[in-house]
Amino acid sequence: MWKATIRSLMAHKLRLILTGIAIVLGVGFVTGTLVLSDTLSATFNNLFRGITAGIDVQVRSPKTFSEQGNQGGGGTQHLPVPETVLSDVERIPGVAAATGEAVGSAILIDSKGKAIQPTGPPTLGFSFPDDPRLTSLRVKDGRRPRGPTEVAIDVYTANKYGFHVGDQVKVVANGPVQTYTLVATMRIGTADSLLGATVTAFDLPTAQKAFDLVGKYSDINVKSAGGVAATQLRDRINRALKPRYEAVTGSELAKENANDIQKGIGFITTFLLVFAGVALLVGTFLIVNTFNIIVAQRTRELALLRALGAQRRQVMASVVGEAMITGAFCSVVGVGFGVLTAIGLQGLFSAIGFKLPASGLVVQPNSIIVGLVVGFVVTLLSSLLPARRATRVAPIEALRDVAAPPATSARSRIIAGATTGVIGGVALAAGLLGSGISLVGTGALLIFLAVAFLAPLIAKPVAGLIGTPIARIYKLPGKLARENATRNPRRTAATAAALMIGLALVTLVSILAASAQVSTNRAIDRAFTADYIITTKQFGNFPATLADDLRKLPQLSAVTPFAFGQFKLDGSTKQLSSVDPREFAKLGNLKVVEGQLPADTDPAALLVDASEAKAKHWHAGTVVAAEFAKTGKVQLPVKAVYAKNQLIGKYLVTDATFRANFTQQFANIVLAKKAPGVSAQVARAAVDRVAANYPSVDVKDQTQLKADQRKQINQLLSVIFALLLFSIGIALIGVVNTLVLSIFERTRELGLLRAVGMTRRQIRKMIRWESVIIAVFGTLLGMAVGIGFGISLVSALHSQGITDLVIPFSYLLGYLVVAVLAGIVAAIWPARRAARLDILQAISTE
Amino acid sequence: MTAPVATSVAARATELVKVYGHGETAVQALDRVSVAFPHGQFSAIMGPSGSGKSTLMHCLAGLDSVTSGQVFIGDTDITKLHDNDLTLLRRDKVGFIFQAYNLVPTLNAIENITLPMAIAGRDPDQQWLDQIIDTMGLRDRLKHRPAELSGGQQQRVAAARALASRPDIIYADEPTGNLDSRSSAEILGFLHRSVRDLGQTIVMVTHDAVAAGYANRVIFLQDGRIVDELADPTAESVLDRMKAMGA
Repeated sequence: MWKATIRSLMAHKLRLILTGIAIVLGVGFVTGTLVLSDTLSATFNNLFRGITAGIDVQVRSPKTFSEQGNQGGGGTQHLPVPETVLSDVERIPGVAAATGEAVGSAILIDSKGKAIQPTGPPTLGFSFPDDPRLTSLRVKDGRRPRGPTEVAIDVYTANKYGFHVGDQVKVVANGPVQTYTLVATMRIGTADSLLGATVTAFDLPTAQKAFDLVGKYSDINVKSAGGVAATQLRDRINRALKPRYEAVTGSELAKENANDIQKGIGFITTFLLVFAGVALLVGTFLIVNTFNIIVAQRTRELALLRALGAQRRQVMASVVGEAMITGAFCSVVGVGFGVLTAIGLQGLFSAIGFKLPASGLVVQPNSIIVGLVVGFVVTLLSSLLPARRATRVAPIEALRDVAAPPATSARSRIIAGATTGVIGGVALAAGLLGSGISLVGTGALLIFLAVAFLAPLIAKPVAGLIGTPIARIYKLPGKLARENATRNPRRTAATAAALMIGLALVTLVSILAASAQVSTNRAIDRAFTADYIITTKQFGNFPATLADDLRKLPQLSAVTPFAFGQFKLDGSTKQLSSVDPREFAKLGNLKVVEGQLPADTDPAALLVDASEAKAKHWHAGTVVAAEFAKTGKVQLPVKAVYAKNQLIGKYLVTDATFRANFTQQFANIVLAKKAPGVSAQVARAAVDRVAANYPSVDVKDQTQLKADQRKQINQLLSVIFALLLFSIGIALIGVVNTLVLSIFERTRELGLLRAVGMTRRQIRKMIRWESVIIAVFGTLLGMAVGIGFGISLVSALHSQGITDLVIPFSYLLGYLVVAVLAGIVAAIWPARRAARLDILQAISTE
Repeated sequence: MTAPVATSVAARATELVKVYGHGETAVQALDRVSVAFPHGQFSAIMGPSGSGKSTLMHCLAGLDSVTSGQVFIGDTDITKLHDNDLTLLRRDKVGFIFQAYNLVPTLNAIENITLPMAIAGRDPDQQWLDQIIDTMGLRDRLKHRPAELSGGQQQRVAAARALASRPDIIYADEPTGNLDSRSSAEILGFLHRSVRDLGQTIVMVTHDAVAAGYANRVIFLQDGRIVDELADPTAESVLDRMKAMGA
């Protein structure tokens, strides 16, 4: 039996290749993602090991909750350390040298006056210590910066933007632009670049001034005396300074930093694995379908084997054996392909501006093993159903003319499909209402399966309907295309179902994007009556004096800085906004329900959203115990209660209150409103003139803001599409596969058509339109499912701010056009094969 | 010969050579065969297995290339034609009846009958079509797909298709090979009548003496050469001749 299996494999290299491509692509995607992820971790580990190489022990403030935090809350940070701590540290025995360090964000301005702000990598600023033992910064050309006007930058940035030692360089830190003399280019450890970040270094006092750290350090770096281990020193320092300050070793610090970054970019791996999973799912559909076709075509052969005495078990083994060999072989190829995929994914991310560090790929044994196992198991599982079908081939089939494997009855199909669909729908709904993202995934998967179960039932009428205009336009070849597409509904449906998955996700994402965009625009219209919004690309160092400069402009009637952060109420983290309340009221639709708006200079003023106040039984005058990262517990009186405002959220403080309780001393954005009677051009010109002094900022009006949002959404969209293209590509290979196997099956028929006068062109046309019908069928299925998903997801996200459901029909129409083109492309090769058939061989084929 | 319009030649071959393979493994399937098929005649090509009779038909029909020599259909030398022109010529001038798999399974009987015209994008001659359908007794089977027809009915549809476009010549390759004797007789009788009454030209490859008996003329092929010919044969005279050949 093994001999027969291997013979069968070798005799049909083509179908081996076609099945194989799906496995190779799926495995490749999975392996590629894992390799990319490993490469990233290795890169970051190396990097931080390099940065902290000079540090034996670091002393810092203990962790507090992050006052900034990302959306959704959470995160931690370390507050600065007073300068006086340094002498305490130096007194500890075993400390050979110690220095304070000032770290912040510093943006370089290029020769054209534009801020250098790479998307992705940060703009880092450091102090350059006197003692080379305490830093990994190494001067390459020039000398260490000294005094308030000198700066050093990393070799990579200097080369990339054409800075030379001796040049005057403009830098923005936490204030207006300052000009420095470039006295050195430097390496970080032995690297010319820190992951593409811009690295700027000053002497310590200059750095402290630039980063709002006068009298303070970000942390203190310590070199241990010979013979004292870092861990030993760490424990000594901890004994002396805890709990006010804590010490960690350099290697602990490196690990911590690397972990933080990996947590930050961990979503990339998850994100990619989701798409790899989708690709694999599509691949599974394809493999099942291919094996089904193969079993159908081998019916006579299998029946003959049965007639000659092969047992059912042996027939099953024959089919599964073929799958095992194919799976093993293709998984190996797929793992190799995965390494290439990793390179491609790196390229994809850098193409959209998210530059990942370029370094050698790290291929861990784990990635290879996972890839191999996934490929093998998926192929094996995919073959089980077709194999079972193969065992039901009766010996008598060997004597029949037309091979017809037993078909699943419509009734059991409906039962299986409906059951799966209902379970999937319930899982999806539960997942969306709760917050079980995995439940959402399971639900979606089950719904895909349900549709795949049910699709054969509608394949005939729907494909027939799609084919009707084609038959009308393209006459006989069109008619035959339609007939061929409907003659085996199960096959057509299975092929289309693979395509459905990708298209459903594309449709879903399009609906989400369109809905998010319309919702955002509406939110901007509703909550936002400011004419100008001034932002920086990277939150973090907004020039503190910009708002003051703008306030002086007579062309503006209202200006307010706008900052956001986190604080704690009764131990739970809350988001908070800070504005000049009276100015904000003029431009931001702030309706006071109770109390009065405090002055901006009020250093202890909390304002609360009406529904929140009601829930907590607060009123104007209630004193609330708030907790801040910097100042700890602070009693804040509620000065006013306001009606719901989407822009500022539930808690608001005055600018003075914010500055008093936050390390961050600057706004995240500034909002401004044009004075009445001033033309838009005049006001804009005045704002632009002020902004010109701050190269890191962007001035946007409402239209630009909306355009910006749209751009962001579209960018995300294009990445998702690029990744989904993978699955759609696999599904299209499925179409090619089905066509080629069907053509093989119809060799005689094609020969007959050629003999009685069908030209090669007409044959190609016939295959092409069959392909288009399958592709369009799959697309329509996908769109139907995708619209269903989209509607449920958008309604689930209503509370998250996606208030409008938009189904972008023009896009969907576009996808349909693309599907037609894709169908045509998928048919090129099969059609050519069909047209090239040797007529004589075709009509005399057994 | 009773053919009414047997004045010109529908198809002919001169010095036709067909060699399969090359070098030491070369097999000469046809050895300088020259033969002509006048209009309005029902010719049968007979010979033992491997005699080259099917190859001859394939070459005459433009389904197979020739090694040397010429093949004419009407006045056209088809050995000079490229695939596309050859295809169009088959479509417009030649009809085919094969032993099996004659019909497109996705098309019903009438669609199969009119297939060559549909391929050409031409409307069939309705009166002619009706005549053929009625002669073939297919009137009540027109909407049936091949799978719903018996073997005999399928071959009758194939024969109707071959006639429907009024080709210059019809090639039939063992048209009754898969049929029982009653169905065979039906088909052969029909082919005979279409030559006698309608002036059709038919070339039939067969190894069945009874089938050959329906023809006006039988050509005997052996080892790629024409070895004998018999006019107005009967099944008995064909059998006698075959015995004489020692086949």
